[in-house]
Order: sequence, then C-alpha cells, then structure tokens
Amino acid sequence: MKSFNVKSAVLTIGLLIGSGGPCAAEIGVTDTEILIGALGVLTGPLYNNGKTIYDGVETVYNEVNAAGGINGRKIRYVREDDACKPEQAVPAVKKLIFEHKVFMIHGGGCSNASLAAMPDIVKARVPWVITASTAPQLTDPVNPLIFSTMLAGWMETAGQLQRLIDTGAKKIAIVRQRDAWAESRYKPLLESFAKAGLKPVLDEEISADPSDATGVALKLKAAGVDGVVAVLFPKAATVMMRDMYKIGYKPLVVGGSAIGDVKAMDEAIGIRGALDNFQALSPTKAATDPTMVQWKDKVKKYYPRDEFQTWHMFGIASGQFMVEGLKRAGRDLTRDGLAKALSGLSINSDAYAGPISCTTQNHQCYRSMAWFSFINGNIKEMGQTHLK
Amino acid sequence: MTIIKFITPRSLGLVVFGVLAVLPAFANNYWLFVGNLTLVYIVLTVGLNLLIGYSGLLAFMNGILFGVGAYATAIFRVDFSLSYGLAIPLAAVFTMVIGVIVALPALRLSGLYLALATVAFAQFILWVLLHWDQVTRGPSGIQVPPVNYAPLTDTFENGHYYLTLVVAFIIVWLTVNLLRSHYGRAFVAVRESEVAAESIGIDLTRYKTLAYAVSALYAGLAGGLFAPLLGIVVPESFDLSQVIVQFAMVTVGGLGSIAGSVIGAIGLVWLQESLRAFKELQEVAFGGMILLTILFFPGGVSAMLKKWLPSWREPLRRRLLDHHEHD
Amino acid sequence: MLPYLLTSGLTSGALYALVAIGLVVVYRSTGHINFAHGEFFMIGGFFAYSMITMLGFPYLLSLVLAVPLSFCLGAVCDRAVFRPLMKAPGTTIVLATVGLSYLLKGVGRYVWGGKGEYISIKSIVDPAPFLVWGMPVLPQQLIVFGAAMLCMLGFFAFFRWTIAGKMMQATAESAFASYLAGIRVERVYTLTWGVGAAVAGVAAVLMAPLTLLTPDIGSGLLIKAFAATILGGLGSMSGALVGGLLVGLCESLIGGYIDSSLQEVAAFIIIMIVLVFRPSGLFGAYGVRRA
Repeated sequence: MKSFNVKSAVLTIGLLIGSGGPCAAEIGVTDTEILIGALGVLTGPLYNNGKTIYDGVETVYNEVNAAGGINGRKIRYVREDDACKPEQAVPAVKKLIFEHKVFMIHGGGCSNASLAAMPDIVKARVPWVITASTAPQLTDPVNPLIFSTMLAGWMETAGQLQRLIDTGAKKIAIVRQRDAWAESRYKPLLESFAKAGLKPVLDEEISADPSDATGVALKLKAAGVDGVVAVLFPKAATVMMRDMYKIGYKPLVVGGSAIGDVKAMDEAIGIRGALDNFQALSPTKAATDPTMVQWKDKVKKYYPRDEFQTWHMFGIASGQFMVEGLKRAGRDLTRDGLAKALSGLSINSDAYAGPISCTTQNHQCYRSMAWFSFINGNIKEMGQTHLK
Repeated sequence: MTIIKFITPRSLGLVVFGVLAVLPAFANNYWLFVGNLTLVYIVLTVGLNLLIGYSGLLAFMNGILFGVGAYATAIFRVDFSLSYGLAIPLAAVFTMVIGVIVALPALRLSGLYLALATVAFAQFILWVLLHWDQVTRGPSGIQVPPVNYAPLTDTFENGHYYLTLVVAFIIVWLTVNLLRSHYGRAFVAVRESEVAAESIGIDLTRYKTLAYAVSALYAGLAGGLFAPLLGIVVPESFDLSQVIVQFAMVTVGGLGSIAGSVIGAIGLVWLQESLRAFKELQEVAFGGMILLTILFFPGGVSAMLKKWLPSWREPLRRRLLDHHEHD
Repeated sequence: MLPYLLTSGLTSGALYALVAIGLVVVYRSTGHINFAHGEFFMIGGFFAYSMITMLGFPYLLSLVLAVPLSFCLGAVCDRAVFRPLMKAPGTTIVLATVGLSYLLKGVGRYVWGGKGEYISIKSIVDPAPFLVWGMPVLPQQLIVFGAAMLCMLGFFAFFRWTIAGKMMQATAESAFASYLAGIRVERVYTLTWGVGAAVAGVAAVLMAPLTLLTPDIGSGLLIKAFAATILGGLGSMSGALVGGLLVGLCESLIGGYIDSSLQEVAAFIIIMIVLVFRPSGLFGAYGVRRA
C-alpha cells in the first residue's frame, strides 16, 4: 500500500516541523491565541440569524480581548458559511477542523446543516457549543464534547401549548412551515398534545415566504379555533397575523423563539392592535431591558451596520458562557479540560432570562423562556417558564 | 513552447485524472472531500453538457434528477437494506426512467419554454421530496451510513474517493466515445438545425430521448455517489441553486466540450471553496466571477483553449457567433 | 369563504402581474428573459428604504426617487453585462443574467443585511383594512392592483403610439433589420433595461409594505412572474396581467380548498400544464412576439 507509506512519512515530517515547542500544545491553542471556529449560515435566506448571532458572540470576545484576554490568550473567531445546507456544512466544518485547525467550534444554526456536520466533529473530538440549532439529536444522547446554549425545540413547543392551555384555549390548531426547523418541533409538539389529552383541531402549512395567508386564516376561523401554536419564522408569522386581523379574527396565537421580536413584527404589520392577542417566547430578556443598553452600544461599536435584534442577545449569552468556561479550563487549556469545565458550569448571562447550566448528564444547558406581548406600543413581559 | 503542441483534449484529460488519482496522498480530509465532490460534479456536468451543449436542449432538470438519484439510493439502502453495490446502479436506472418519462412531454418544447418547463418540474419534484413524509422523511431527510470498503481500504474517505474517481473516468471515456460515434454527430445535427437534421433522416425523437436518458442516468449515478459522501440526503440540497451551479460549470467550461465540462467542474468547485474567504460576500464574488468569465470568455474555457493551443481539436463544440439558435 | 379567497387571490395576483409586466417589457424588446429582474425589484425597494431611513427624505419623495434610481441600475447593467454579450448565444446570456442576480443579491445582503429579518416600509396610506363589496381588503393591495392596471395600459399606449415603443418592438423583431433602418439598437436596449428595472422599482415600492423586503425576495417573485407570463403568453403585456391574476387566484383557491401545503407549488403546476398543453398561453402565439 504505497500511498499509505508516503502519507505517513509526510505526516510525520509535518508533525515534527509543525509542533513547534518541546511539548505539542493542544490544537488551535498557542501561547497567545485560542482559535475558535463558527459554523453557521452567512448566505442564503436565513443569513440574518447566522450573522447577528455571531456578531453577538464576537462582540463578547472582542470585549474580553480588549480587557486582556483569557488566561493570557486572546480569542480569534473564524466563521465558515454553511448556507444552511448539508453539502456546504460538511466542507465548511472540514475546513475549520483540518485547515484552520480550530480548538473548538462555537456555532451551529440550521439543524440539517449541523446534523450533517456532526459526524466530522464527533470523529475529530472537537468540542462544540451550539448557539442556535435546536434538533434534539445533537444533545440526546449526550456527547461529552457537545453542549447547547439554546432551548431545545421541544421545550419551546411544549411551552407554547402549555401557555395556550393555561389561558383557556379549547380548540387549538397548529400552523407551521415546511422545513427542517419546524419539523424538529412538530413531532414533539404532537407528543405534547397527546400528553395533554388533546388533538390539534387543524394542522395548516404556510410557506416560509408567503404574500398572503388569508386562506389559512379563513380555515381556522371557520373551524372555530381559539388558540394557535405558531411554528413559524417572522415573515410567515407577520403575514398570518396581518391577514387574521384583516378578516377580523383574533384567536390567541403563541409563537416560538424565532418570532420573539414582537416589536419588529408590530412595525412590519403597521396596524395598531393586530398583535393584541399574540404572545411569543424568547430565551432572552426583553431587548429593552436595562442590562442590554451597554450591550447595544458595544454591538454598535463593532458592527455599525447591524440593527440590534434579539438574535444578538443569543450570541451575547452564549459568548458569556464560553468565556466563563474557557476561564475555568485554565491556562493549561485542552479540549478535554474545556469539556470538563463546561460540564459543571452554571452562569447567569446578561442577555438570557434564566441561567445557563450544564450537568454531566444534561448538555442541553438552557431551559428557560420569557413570554412577550406587544400591547399599546410597548413590549410587555407576560411571565417566565423555567424547565428542569 | 513545443510542449503546447501536445496539449490536446485527450492528453489534458489524462493529466487531470492522473493528478486527481494521486490527490489522496497529499490532501487533508477537507481537500479530499472537495476532490470527491469535484468528481461527482464532473459526472453531472458531462451529462448536462450532453443535453445543453451537444443537443441544444435547454433542460434544467439535472439538479432535481441528481436529487432523485440520491434519494433513491438512500431509500434502497436504508429502507430495503440493499448494499450500495446494488442501490447505486438501481438508483441510476430509476433516475434514467424518470428522465425519459419527463422527456416525452418535453420533446415538444424548445428554447425558453423548455427551460421554464423543466425548472417548474424541478421545483414541483422538490415540493414532493419535501412533503412526501412516508417515503422521503420530509424536511429532515434521510441519513445514510457510509460505504464499507473493507477489503480494499479501511478509510471510507479514501475508498469512496477512488470509487468516484473510477466512475468519473469511465463516464468521461464512455461519453467521449459516444460522441465520436454517429450519436454525437446526430446530437449536434439536432442542435444546429432540427429541420435540416430531419431532412437527412435523423429521428429527432429517438436522439433527443437518448440525450435525456443518458444525462438522467449520469445524474442518478452522481446522486448515488453523493448520498454516502454527505451522509445525509435533504431536499434543500437539490433546489434551483444546484442546477444553476451545474449550468454555470457547463457554460464556463464550454458548450459542447467534454474537456470544458471537466475543467468547468473542477474550476467552479475550486472557486466556490476558495470564495469561502469572502464570508458574507460569497454571492457577490461568485456572481462577479461568473460575469467576468462570461464577459472575457463568452465561448467558455474550451473556446479560449482552442484559440491558444494549436492542437486543441473539438469539432462538436458550439460555435460562438451563432445567428439565432433558439427555435 | 369563496369571496374571501377570490379577493385575496386577486390581490396577490396583482403583485405577480406587476412584476411580470417588467419582465415582459425586457423580453418584448430584447428577446431575452432577465433572470435578475427579481433582484432589480429587491434593490429598488432597498433604494426607497435607504432614502427614507438613512437619508431621511420624505416618504413619498423616496418612493418616487426610487424609480429613476432603478432605471439607472437597469441601464448600468445593460452597459456592463448585456451590451458586450449581444452576440453571444442565448444560453450564455441566460447565465450572465443569473450571475448578475447572484451579484445583486449578495450586494443587497451586504449593504442592507443585518437590519432584521425583513425590512418594512410603511404603507402609503393608513394600513387598516376596509371593505370593498363586503370583502376586507388592505388599502395597499388596492394600490398595487390599480398600479398593475395603469402599467399595463401605459405600456400598451407606449408600444402602440410612441416612437420609442415602436423602436423597441422593431429591435425585438429583428435587430439586424433595425440597424438597417437606422435605429440605434444599443440605445434601445439600454432604454429597455432601464424601463424594465424602473417598473421593478415601482412594483417594489408599492409592494414592500405587503411583502416585506429581504434580499432573497427576488427569486420567489421571479418564479411567480414566470408563471404569469407563461400563462398569459410570453410577450403579451395583457397576458402578463391576466396571467398574474389567474396565478394568484389558482394559488388562493387551491390553498383554500384542497390543501394549504399546495399553495406554494401551484405556480409550478400551472407552468407545467400550460407549457405541455398550450405553450402559447392565453394571449400569446408560440414563437411570435406580439402586442
């Protein structure tokens, strides 16, 4: 097997040249720098989520670097685009692991892309902290090196349904999109229905980019639906709410984290009162919370063209979690060391409504949500839910 | 300077495949994947060129047929527990059948109408892939296991790379020979003038259907190789941007030039990977590169090679200064 | 339920028709489909947004100014992309416009990205719905509907009665003959692209409050516009209008009565059926470009 011998020879020589010091440091870690990779969506229709979340993370990192770094090292954050597609995610993650040679990966947006990238990450034993992907298979079963700082999809839909039940809705319908994101929430949602002894009265689909949702609104109204679980992204949700208002139909609509920015929705609809019966959850506090003022300025400083959105707060919270974990892993930084530090870590970030805390059995580190509505021109927090 | 005299499509092809054959010795895991992807695209581009470049049929179903091949392979492998050795060829044949079925109504159309009809068809099939939960698992797609190359080599990456390399080489070789035969001349006759072709006794239906069938077969085969490479088969991998990239490869390489297709495939995969550095500006860079290439080499790379290399002979290439070729 | 569905179908259809009209203008004159038309639409809308928010121009002025800006964009693209390629085969031009669409989309993403999920432009009038023959309609939808009709009538008159319009038809019929007749074909093409882009800009400015601008909005609308032009007959202005309305109606009825998941695929099914059974569409004649 000639090729093997040539390859091993090249590898050995390469290792000898590239290892630098007497003892080989961890991959991606030098005396002065920690190289962290971001795998996420930078182009394509979902680019906004990717860009803003990573801008949030990088804001935290920039601030830490400006204050001297972590244990004497600065963080360098390098992004690779997966365009929300598996065939981009796989080369992107391979590039991060084998070309850039990152220490760990801090990112992950679209579920299909993250799932496609997962085998490479697992095989190369690279620690991975997930910022936005919500597919349950990522953290269940638990992998010692993989953590998530985002709510799992099933937590959101369970919360959404519970909220409807608590407010007295009797005939509950589902309105959803047809993509992997919605899909990963749909099955657990049906299970939540079953557990509550209920069945969805209607199960309607809206495209992710509709110009009109009147048909769906009419069907729901005709069936006498008084509560809607919205498994939708902002554009579809906005159009649906607007068209419901148009036909004079006002059921209680409860949305997930994707539509947590109720203020933007109200601006887009432009009709006062359209969101009177709308609530959405967000893992974050309100964007108008006093603790976020300083962060707004910081994000503006590094990314002047961004408008501050809830997504930035996802990144800020996850970034703070990472910084604390890296600090605790110490100067002698190794991948396993980091994983151990993260496994028992619990912090209260500025941006999230609840604590981010991991245990060795549970790497789904975030389990809290806040409920927001938009009434009379103001964001109002309606309550919080904290799951174990 | 005399070495230029020896650069012909055949010699260049041998060099290219030679380099690709030894790639695993030098490449890290990332570049090996890129190389493997390139080989898959070579198969796709050659097939698409048969339709667009040689036969003049503006059919844009290659992207979705690629997906059909991938999904068929996944279903045969996962649901029917066939080995990949059976699943991939079966999927290729299945895709070919679908391609022929679509070809029948498509035979009546040409030019822009054909293009739009095939685009609409592709989007429709994409919708089916997305919604037919029982078979295709909907948006979450189907996860497929890697191929086991056990007795030959113990890493999947190397084994799959060499399999794809062999398949791509055979496909290119077969196609070159197909085109050298009367089939090739018939295709080009159909492209240049259907009326004239018919008048010399060429059965339009037969040759057009053959072109559709062969390109569908290639697309299905490419899909079968793609599925285990990626490990997961999802609908969004086969949307419109997929066929746009393939179309760009064919056009940039040169319509009616197999060598062009190979170069186009390698060039554009390499381009997409090297544009990663542009991060958010990737689309700007990609669109810009396509435009620049077209503006400076309207006939594609093969036309440029024809101009500069004295021994570059490709008689079936589509000429540039066509008077209106759309019927 | 039916009257509601009909109304919403007509109003969505008017959106598609407005985009389709711009597409047909360029096709009528150059014989080519501009695959970047959706992106002209998108950038036109973003121009208006920029003027409103970044430059602080008054609302109506921004809307009006977006149109000549879009015209310039179209004219520039013609000079940069189309003119050098006038002699290239059709497939190359198709790819060139596709490449242009990527480029414009990327520029849109870079310049206006990061501002939110979508960019919203307020309605011209108070957006509260009001009743038309008992059906609730958003005022902006009526404006779009009216604009689509006006555009169609305007272009009809333009092609029939103005010299520029006749020149544009001449170049479509035969560029070579137009040269011989002394028509400056390149200039006509530039004018055409500019007009096409301007129409896209008008459409964007009127539709933005309804469709919510994102950099990716172009491709989805383009497909619907294709369905409209195919249904109405390629090259026919009135066909684009009628086709657009019919596509909107079909989507609405199919989505309402059969299954909501079919709404997004209705346009493609329409294209396929029309092309297989009656490629000339309702008003067009196969292979012949006509009023």
